[in-house]
Amino acid sequence: MSRIAVVGRGVVGDRIVRRLPTVVPPFELVTVDPRRIGDVPPGVDVVVLAQGGAHAPVAAEFLDVGTAVVSVSDDLDDVRALLDLDDLARASGVPLVVGAGMSPGLTGLLARMLADQLASCDEIHVAIHGTAGPACARNQHDALGGRAVGFVDGTWIQRRAGSGRELTYFPEPVGPYDCYRAELTPPILLHDAFPEASRLSARISANRRDRLTARLPMLTPPHREGGIGAVRVEVRGNDAAGGRRTLIAGVAELVGTSTAATAIAFAAHALDGRLPAGVCRAGDASLDTVALLRDIGQAGVRLQEFTGVPSEQRISANP
Amino acid sequence: LGLQGRFRRREYSAIEMKFLRRAIFAIFMMVITATVYRLRGTGGTPPQHGGWRPLELPER
Repeated sequence: MSRIAVVGRGVVGDRIVRRLPTVVPPFELVTVDPRRIGDVPPGVDVVVLAQGGAHAPVAAEFLDVGTAVVSVSDDLDDVRALLDLDDLARASGVPLVVGAGMSPGLTGLLARMLADQLASCDEIHVAIHGTAGPACARNQHDALGGRAVGFVDGTWIQRRAGSGRELTYFPEPVGPYDCYRAELTPPILLHDAFPEASRLSARISANRRDRLTARLPMLTPPHREGGIGAVRVEVRGNDAAGGRRTLIAGVAELVGTSTAATAIAFAAHALDGRLPAGVCRAGDASLDTVALLRDIGQAGVRLQEFTGVPSEQRISANP
Repeated sequence: LGLQGRFRRREYSAIEMKFLRRAIFAIFMMVITATVYRLRGTGGTPPQHGGWRPLELPER
């Protein structure tokens, strides 16, 4: 029987533990206390890192003993540190999934699925709404006070987080929200997965109070769990006939549930040996994206697509 | 009230008027700032037609 460890028992960790049996065949669950990371349990096949704080040092310890790692981290510095563990993961012969949450994670899979419908993909724009648990809310707060990273016409740019307002229509029941640039990881991970894309951006929904207080410590403690969140992925490119196409997909679901479902799907694939050794990013061409999305659907997340034509005025105004 | 009392009363009124002028100026500046913030950016245009529907995954 396979052994799966889950580090962290917050909103996401709890949901992963509860929903793992819906996707993964019978397994033995090993719960790891994030405060006692030094004691890496032996014989674990896959570990899902869902705790608050940095994941890279913990991932390195598990990779050292040959355990496949699935991380839901969405902190920019932490994700960069995880990407640096590629050599260690390859040497251990196990996969290290970087960004296996709602964003990064589900957004990358949706982007790959949409891009596969096009002859060429040159733009990917991601928008996020909502938070999971308190650690996620703190990360979002910090992201709105940092430096946003984007990729424009083949050049990396940095902009002040909280700038670049864009009204974004998320799947119902979330609907429209003003979204702003923030210190988010999707552009970095999507660039590795879609090197041909010349424009990559990520925005997050925020209100005036969020933007005003972003550079201050959190004034009030975050909620136990945020409400229904959403992601929206917009992919632009050309079809086989050379026509310009814009494809949009998204999800409206509790962020904790979406994140848990994505982590579970990656854990199941790692357990089956369907992930290559080394760093894996959601959206990598080498992954079975459709199978991953099916597993995410099986774990209770309803994927949606936009069937209309987005306003041409908006496309020309916000290239 | 004698002459001194009337003088003191006029002095208090001047302070109140100064406070009132400052408050009106602060509100005016707040309105101007809010207007600038609202008008900045491109906003967005609602989708003209279509909507969201469940995604059917492609066959492998």
